[in-house]
Amino acid sequence: MAESKSAHLMLVGEEFEPLTFSVTPELNQQYLYAEEDYHSRYIEQTEAGPPQVHPGLLLNMSNNTRSPSFTLPPGWAEIHASEDTEYLNPARVGKQLRVTWKVLDAYEKRGRRWHVLDILIEDEDGVEILRRRMTNTFSSPELTRERKG
Amino acid sequence: MITRDTRVGQEFSGKAKKLTWERVWAFSGGAFDTPNWPKKNIHTDLEFAQSTGLDRVYVSATQYLGHVTELMIDIFSDGWLRGGELKNARFTRPVTEGDTITVKATVRSKVEEGPITSYALDVWCENQDGEQVLIGTALGEAAS
Repeated sequence: MAESKSAHLMLVGEEFEPLTFSVTPELNQQYLYAEEDYHSRYIEQTEAGPPQVHPGLLLNMSNNTRSPSFTLPPGWAEIHASEDTEYLNPARVGKQLRVTWKVLDAYEKRGRRWHVLDILIEDEDGVEILRRRMTNTFSSPELTRERKG
Repeated sequence: MITRDTRVGQEFSGKAKKLTWERVWAFSGGAFDTPNWPKKNIHTDLEFAQSTGLDRVYVSATQYLGHVTELMIDIFSDGWLRGGELKNARFTRPVTEGDTITVKATVRSKVEEGPITSYALDVWCENQDGEQVLIGTALGEAAS
């Protein structure tokens, strides 16, 4: 398997390796606890189908740090600065979901590297679930020392 | 819940939620059955965070974005999950373990076009000191 390119070096148009995953009832319930949100729509089956996946889970699983190809040098971190989020359809527990990430913009500002990512979650039937446009920057011990002067 | 009769200026508020270590680890530490759970990262482990130059553990912004989504579903019902948009959400102040976050929203504008009434809401999250940690704009439609 080819070595992955460090996230901060990704260029416009490049994509992270997609992530495919299924949400079990147990994983969904873990996020209900994390989010302190126990609405029945996330627990009970209805005429519309299995329980819905909690949006917090979808948001977290679509951070690009979840990509199998995401990597940064030791001591580096990615910092989430802002985003646009569009909810397209509910996701259902048990369905296979696929997340894709594409670099839309990459630039330097105030000594930092910034990335804008287009992120899409689709289910196994091709139903679009969630689209995000996320702006991130990067942190490293060297950069922190420079900024502290 | 928002309706076609909701007025500009109407305020909404979610439940205050304390981001305890347990909830932060449940969100950012990987699945409970992951070996050596919780996974160490900048959201779960002080030593890891400090190794990247951060001075403390910062809660993942997606964790309180989830809180925002909960309030938006309360306001717009399930319709939020079929076309609701959060625009220009900016994380204006770090959130750390132990902070208590409350999501708030105010109706900024409404537009009636035939059977559909579209709303724009100013949305923000406050910490326990009343400081804004997230600001953004929500766009959604009234349930018919």
